[in-house]
Amino acid sequence: MLSGEFIAFIALALAAIMGGVLLLNLTKVVHMVVAIVFTFVSIAGIYVLLSAEFLAAVQILIYSGAITIIMLFGIMLTKHNDESEAKGIGWRKVFMFLGVLAFGAAVYIGIYDLDFASEPSELHVKNTEQIGLALYSDYIIPFELTSVVLLVALVGAIILARKDDGGKGEDKK
Amino acid sequence: MELLNLYQNNYLIVFVFLCLGVLLPVVALFFGKLLRPYKPLESKYTTYESGIEPFHDSRVQFNVRYYIFALMFVIFDVETVFLYPWAVAYEKLGIFALVEMLIFVVMLLIGLIYAWKKKVLKWI
Repeated sequence: MLSGEFIAFIALALAAIMGGVLLLNLTKVVHMVVAIVFTFVSIAGIYVLLSAEFLAAVQILIYSGAITIIMLFGIMLTKHNDESEAKGIGWRKVFMFLGVLAFGAAVYIGIYDLDFASEPSELHVKNTEQIGLALYSDYIIPFELTSVVLLVALVGAIILARKDDGGKGEDKK
Repeated sequence: MELLNLYQNNYLIVFVFLCLGVLLPVVALFFGKLLRPYKPLESKYTTYESGIEPFHDSRVQFNVRYYIFALMFVIFDVETVFLYPWAVAYEKLGIFALVEMLIFVVMLLIGLIYAWKKKVLKWI
C-alpha cells in the first residue's frame, strides 16, 4: 500500500497544511507570505501527482509568482511592520474548534465514498493540448467571459487607484 | 501504465532540485549565523548615512502606483497562460480558434489602451 505516490501525496499534503497553519500563526506579515508560497508550491506538486502538469505549471506561474507579488505589494502599501495582535478569549476558541471539527466531519462524509463514474482517459498524454482542445471548442463562452472579467479587473483597478491620485499633490513620495 | 510510472519517477529529479533550492539558503543562513561574531553595539544598528544623522524609519510606504503595475502584471500573466494551450492545440482547432483568441486579446487590448489613455503607464 505504501507506494511512492502515497508517500509523495502525504508529504505534499502535510506541506500544504503546514503552510496554511504557519500562515495563520506567524506574527510577521512577510513571513506569512513565505508560508503561503509553500502551500502554493505543494498544491502544484499535488497537481503533478494527478497528471495535471499544465495546471501545476500555471499554479506556480500565477499563484506563487503573480499572486504572491501582488500580496507583497499589498503589504508594502499598508503597515508592513505591523504584527498580529494577541488571540481572543477561551470559549471562542472552543466554538472555533467545534466548527472546524464539524466542517471536517462534513467534508469527510461528503467525499469519502464519492464516485464520479468518470470514463478512463489518458490524462497525462499531451496534457496541454487536451486542455486547449476542450477550452477552445466546448468551453468557448466561459473562456470569452474570462476576458471580460479580466478587463473589468483592469479597469476597476485603474479607477480605484486613480481616485487616490487626486490627492497626489499633497503627499508625493 | 509502465510508461507513466517511468515518466512520473522522473519527477524525483525535480524533487531533488526543489530540496536543494530550499536547503541552500537555509543552510547558508544557518552557518552564517553560527560562524559570524555576535557583538551588538548601539551604533552598529543605525542606518548608514554619510555625514548626516539618520532619522525616520528607513522603510517607507510604497506609492499606490506600484500596485497598479502589479495588478496589470497579474492580468497579463493570466492572459499569457491562456495563450499556451491555444498555441499547442492550434493545429487541430483551425481558424475558429484564431478568431476566438483575437477577441480575447482585443478585449485585453481595450484595457491596455484605457490604462494608456488614463496615463497609468506614465511614471508620475
